[in-house]
Amino acid sequence: MASVELKDVRKAYGALEVIHGVSLSIADGEFIALVGPSGCGKSTLLRMIAGLEDISHGEVVIGGNVVNALTPRERNIAMVFQSYALYPHMTVAENMGFNLKLSGVAKADIEKRVAEAARMLALGDLLDRKPSQLSGGQRQRVAMGRAIVRDPAVFLFDEPLSNLDAKLRVAMRTEIKTLHQKVGTTSVYVTHDQIEAMTLADRIVVLNGGNIEQVGTPLDLYRTPANLFVAGFIGSPAMNFLDADVDAENGQPAARLADGTIVRLDLARQVKRGQAVKLGIRPEHFVAGDTGDTVVGGQTLVVEPTGAQTHVVFTLAGEPVTAVVDGAFPARHGMPFQAAVAAQQVHVFDRGTGLSL
Amino acid sequence: MTDTTSGIKMTAGTRLYLYASLSLVACLVLVPLMTTALGGFKSLGDLRVNPFGLPHQWVWSNYTDILFGERYWRQMGNSLLIAVISVFLTVVVSAMAAFTFAHVKFFGSAQLMNYFLIGLMFPVATAILPLFIRIRDLGLLDSYWGVILPQVAFGLGMSILLFRNYFRNLPDELFQAAFVDGCGYIRFFWYVSLPLSRPIVATVSIVTFVNSWNSYILPLIMLNTETKYPWPLGIMVYRGEFGTEWQLVLAFITLTILPTVIVFFLAQKHIIAGLTAGAVKS
Repeated sequence: MASVELKDVRKAYGALEVIHGVSLSIADGEFIALVGPSGCGKSTLLRMIAGLEDISHGEVVIGGNVVNALTPRERNIAMVFQSYALYPHMTVAENMGFNLKLSGVAKADIEKRVAEAARMLALGDLLDRKPSQLSGGQRQRVAMGRAIVRDPAVFLFDEPLSNLDAKLRVAMRTEIKTLHQKVGTTSVYVTHDQIEAMTLADRIVVLNGGNIEQVGTPLDLYRTPANLFVAGFIGSPAMNFLDADVDAENGQPAARLADGTIVRLDLARQVKRGQAVKLGIRPEHFVAGDTGDTVVGGQTLVVEPTGAQTHVVFTLAGEPVTAVVDGAFPARHGMPFQAAVAAQQVHVFDRGTGLSL
Repeated sequence: MTDTTSGIKMTAGTRLYLYASLSLVACLVLVPLMTTALGGFKSLGDLRVNPFGLPHQWVWSNYTDILFGERYWRQMGNSLLIAVISVFLTVVVSAMAAFTFAHVKFFGSAQLMNYFLIGLMFPVATAILPLFIRIRDLGLLDSYWGVILPQVAFGLGMSILLFRNYFRNLPDELFQAAFVDGCGYIRFFWYVSLPLSRPIVATVSIVTFVNSWNSYILPLIMLNTETKYPWPLGIMVYRGEFGTEWQLVLAFITLTILPTVIVFFLAQKHIIAGLTAGAVKS
């Protein structure tokens, strides 16, 4: 096990820079998730930690040693790939023991360690099978087994669950979390699925366009997003954004929407009268009814029942806005919908810079 | 059979057309083979007046004389030796070269690849004179190597092309996983690429083997001693000053192509798999 540190890491392909100076330190045993939309550089960053991409500038430090010039093997990392990348001609046991065989570990020792990893991942009965005879979830477990069998300093996961169906994905997510709690190895996990990142990680790194937007615990990012990008990326369904101008009402800060609706803001918000802002309201912070700091309403456009909850899309100041209400709420298409939101639940962002105020 | 396996429904007309056209193609392939095999059972006179029918009298001695003679076995042995060494060298050299072209980026790799591919445009016959001079200068005239080395060289273009396309279709992540596991290029080639390339190895081997087995002009130019002749040169013996003993030639040909036909039937699944590899993602 080891800590990992990135110091002003940059990656450029010719003149095109795709990672613009990322600095990050990951504590020993920590589970870090790198999230961001496609093309934000999260996989590239992971591959630079792995040693599969050259580092154009800056340093990657694993366990106190600068590893820029080392091969993946010398860095002692293990990686789980999106497509599993199992060797099709080897059995499960051979797949898991391959790296030990290459480093000249004795045969008896390999068998012992493979058996131990297989027990941990419930693969004991499958050791003699070829990857083609396994289901997607089993292949994924073999790929993880291949990683833990060598006891690496760092685990790297490159979107390991995106090839699985929705149900299996949830099950494997739990398995990865359990595995990390058992072995406690420092892990870096790349995903574009913010739910995966929220549920698995100790800390989340949100990347966008090769820059870090924010680093924090899942709840930090959810409660106090640093800017519009993080606010829109974290949370499902996504946060609603509305253009507004800062005003005052009864000596309290408030924002006036395009149609004149007044939304009351928290006193702690650093806003000036007349400032152009974007308001961010999470769908789950709307409470159906007409009692609260601010009551808004509009015509119901779409009703999406999910069982426990219902998503109601209604118009507010000419924009479609999503609210999450209890599954029993009698929402109907075309009917007026009213909901309240508390002042401290209204996020305010500067419209120019996108930063949280 | 077609409609049960592929789920495509065919009308009776389509089916009739399919069977008729396939039978025609089968005839085009089978008639010469059958004519050759049956011709070996005829007497020369019979062959002249009745080239395509069944023999009036089955002359078994045409075949038995060849089979019990020493020359046939010696020439088959020579052919086999030349073919096996050619296959071995072609597979080893072209697999390694193709692996390099597929995975290692280096300055001039595209040009070098094209240089090999240009080899596809020239059959051996076009270069026979310079080839003869070079082999003579190397002191390899009248030796097996004088036939084997040019055959390997002329086979490289096609073999490298087949191998490279196959290697390039192996997923990148497999290479990265092996790299993380501690493989370098050589170990990746040996432990991962090669075991996964059985179909293409089979294809290249068969193509090289058949080319070598049927090669006529190279041994003709390079070999002088009759004991070193492969079988295609052996046929010359049946050409006399005033006439050719065609029935013996046909019997001899039948006996010599038999091994390759059998090998082809045994390996055809691999050959087809190798030639179409990468066409559809599995």
